[in-house]
Amino acid sequence: MNDLINFKIDGIQVEAKKGETILSVARKNGIYIPTMCYISKTTPCASCRMCVVEAKDVNGFVLSCNTPPIEGIEITTNSKELENERINIMKLYDVNHPLECGVCDKSGECDLQNKTLEFGVAQQNFTARDQARKIEHWGLINYDPSLCILCEKCVHVCNEVIGDDAIDVKFGGYSSTIIPKNADTLDCTFCGECIAVCPVGALVSSNFQYSANAWELRRVPATCAHCSAGCSLEYETKYSGIDNGFESIFRVKNNFEFTSLCGAGRFGFDFENRALKDENAFVKAVDALKNAKAIRFSSMITNEEAHILQLLKEKLGIQLFNEDARKFQEFMNSYSSVSGKKHHSGSLDAIKQADAIIVIGTRIATDNPGVRYAITTARKHNGAKIVYAHPLEDALLQNTVTQFMKYEVGTEEGVLALLANAILQEADLSDAERAFFNELDLGYLEAESNIGHEEILQMMKSFSRAKNRILIIGNDLIAHDRALNIAKLAALIEKYTTFSLVVVPNEVNTLGVSLIAELDKDEDIIDVVGYNARGNFLISSLKFANLAVPALNQQEGTFVSIDNRVLPTNVSVSFDGYTLNDLASACGINSKNTIDYTSMLNPKSGFKNLNFDSLENYLSPLGDDVRGYLLDEVECSISGELESIEDLPEFNGTVIYNSNPVLQFNAYTNIAKQLEKDTALRGSAQFAACAKISDGDRVEIRFGSKMITRDFKLDNNLKGTIALNPTFDDVVDASRYRFEKSKIMRVVHE
Amino acid sequence: MKNEQFNNRNVSNGYFLVDIEDYPTDGWGKFKRVVKRTFRGELFVGLWVVLREMIKFDIHTIQYPAEKMPIGPRYRAVHEMKRLWESGTERCIGCGLCEKICISNCIQMDTRIDENSRKEVSEYSINLGRCIFCGYCAEVCPELAITHGGRYENASEQREHFVMYEDMLTPIDKLKSGNQLEFEGFGAITPHEDERVKKTPLAY
Repeated sequence: MNDLINFKIDGIQVEAKKGETILSVARKNGIYIPTMCYISKTTPCASCRMCVVEAKDVNGFVLSCNTPPIEGIEITTNSKELENERINIMKLYDVNHPLECGVCDKSGECDLQNKTLEFGVAQQNFTARDQARKIEHWGLINYDPSLCILCEKCVHVCNEVIGDDAIDVKFGGYSSTIIPKNADTLDCTFCGECIAVCPVGALVSSNFQYSANAWELRRVPATCAHCSAGCSLEYETKYSGIDNGFESIFRVKNNFEFTSLCGAGRFGFDFENRALKDENAFVKAVDALKNAKAIRFSSMITNEEAHILQLLKEKLGIQLFNEDARKFQEFMNSYSSVSGKKHHSGSLDAIKQADAIIVIGTRIATDNPGVRYAITTARKHNGAKIVYAHPLEDALLQNTVTQFMKYEVGTEEGVLALLANAILQEADLSDAERAFFNELDLGYLEAESNIGHEEILQMMKSFSRAKNRILIIGNDLIAHDRALNIAKLAALIEKYTTFSLVVVPNEVNTLGVSLIAELDKDEDIIDVVGYNARGNFLISSLKFANLAVPALNQQEGTFVSIDNRVLPTNVSVSFDGYTLNDLASACGINSKNTIDYTSMLNPKSGFKNLNFDSLENYLSPLGDDVRGYLLDEVECSISGELESIEDLPEFNGTVIYNSNPVLQFNAYTNIAKQLEKDTALRGSAQFAACAKISDGDRVEIRFGSKMITRDFKLDNNLKGTIALNPTFDDVVDASRYRFEKSKIMRVVHE
Repeated sequence: MKNEQFNNRNVSNGYFLVDIEDYPTDGWGKFKRVVKRTFRGELFVGLWVVLREMIKFDIHTIQYPAEKMPIGPRYRAVHEMKRLWESGTERCIGCGLCEKICISNCIQMDTRIDENSRKEVSEYSINLGRCIFCGYCAEVCPELAITHGGRYENASEQREHFVMYEDMLTPIDKLKSGNQLEFEGFGAITPHEDERVKKTPLAY
């Protein structure tokens, strides 16, 4: 390979790829260069100047974090002068740093503490007049400016990875601080990533602050149980008080060097279920299972539980209902019938590396923050062109998206056909497929979907030089009436072009359930046992259950994430009651532990014959993801044929869109204490005028046969006649097509 | 982080049964046991010691509890929690080091953030029924807040009485009268400390 650069670090011959810096090459080769502000997932902040090195025949020091090596250069990472320089930097950091390590949350895992001791800073030769600095309280986050060392990690992460761009450095020499950007107080999605990256105790979780110390907490590696991004996290637990003595989760941490976590994962951890063994309820539950016609369950379960449910179905001859996973399953089956393979090709890493992205049919920033962060990373680091196609604009993505394509509600099939038609213009299609595109009535589709020809041309033009292209498909397409045809169109795009495809599963383990269980169409019959879902007999980890079972942070098992990766999760808080495995054992499906089923998961879907205990759950020091395993690719027969596009439906009047607010996903985030629970219907001024309601009104929303009551809130970020209706409080079935024609009435108080 | 620690699913409380010789069941076995226990030489050794001391009249008995032996200042009995001389507030900052270092796991504390955004110790307990009085907690304390005192009499009707934080904390009137004892142990300020303090640069 010619594009490798050969050079020497401390006399060791190393090679760098194009775009790598001296620091990253040194780390790869196990050579230590101290840093304070460097964080692998962002561009270098270059604010600490700790990473200075000497280069032969170059005057002065070189910053290794943002300097690419040149051929043949000799780098020295350690010398008397460098040592002096670094000690002086540490002394400057220590000027007036409050001596409150004894109470500081960061003590024990503090970069400043570590480096001060590492460099043996024993005396201070620098001074500055100290200033009164006020501690800021920003909701879930507290900021103590006197502890802040201005490394700027938080600002870089917020801007480059998260995309909120909510904080900024207020420059002013010694009085510099971190401030909310263009606002008095912090107004962001509260992902808490700034807390995670803060090397000192300046930015801390207001809930966790002063409640425990780093060394008292037990760390449990797990996988986030709120959305399908499958973020790795560590629950940190400790006994919760002197009186009751049981363990509870104190905080959640992530490997911030390489991965990100949204606020739901970071702050929504206390959804565990507490129960004791209730013999009576257990007997009743076994009876209910044996007499039931069906089990209805949610996708917020592990693969092993799904496997047990499938075994129960076979043993007891009952049906399994899970509309969310069934729709996903049908969508993917239809996709497979054209693409010839079981799994979509894209992943979060692929999104991060992409330079052209189409997002369609999902309000991605709230549906799956993991995907949002990947998109933001692609935008900021590769300058990716991002097309966001949706009937509603999203204020959270306004700094990220390069082209917003607004289409009419319900016309998803037409939109994807238009996109496919443009993208597959020069593709080597089969005759039948070419005939399908030749027959398209472009004029009709463009008119009905409201997507102009120029918009598509503009997109194609901006994508023309892109190499890594990705199509991200959301739940509006999966739950659509014409989902099967949409899946085939998406498969065509993936098959004939360089596009890879990511289908965003709705819930944490929708993908896993759809690969394991054979699901039946949910007919509203009675005699249904609900497993974490509604039913006549309720087995649930939520309130009002007939039999309590453990929540997802109390179980070991695996999930399948959006990356098609099987991810293990561990028990963080113990559960003293019965589990699904006990119920299954009572029904004659015997196994000692739930995780005995991990190695038996459906091999036809690509699961490997691996024991749970052999699965790892960590990231390597260089950031390689070694968690769990990737599903094997499975070949499928190609038999699917495109159907012609049906007449596009029209949604007139007041339409509501079932979409959760930031940090809310499901009934579990709904019981997390720290997360905001805003159940209001949010709409624009135009929506309010159309529905004849105003801000603060209590309204009745009728759609289909359902009626719900909500408060209405005016949201200036929204436009048009579509309002956002949250689903996390479980009043609406989240697996339905998310747009609903609705009648809105103001509730008049008498 | 490796996962091995989670692979053991036989979670138990760590207690196990000691291997004890079986009790005799038949009459002959029981008889042998009685004989074995009764006619042992130790009985006469004890009788001889008593007799010898009685004749000598060399009596060292202290009339406890009316009389008590003096104990050394570094004796490690029931803990004392100290107060700050200036303000009278508790010295403990809730750093959790004593809890961490405690080898018999008898210290537990709860901390929280108070109204003034400072760390507050809301609960502190030492289970004296478990404590082995090793003194590590006093040694590790960065604030000289916990020390061992001389109170060694732990008789009570209830085990709960052994964990009273209020009993360990210096009473405020004792502090005000200047009777709080300082611990002259590891980590305590040495005599002539003033002379060793280096000047902080004060350029401004």
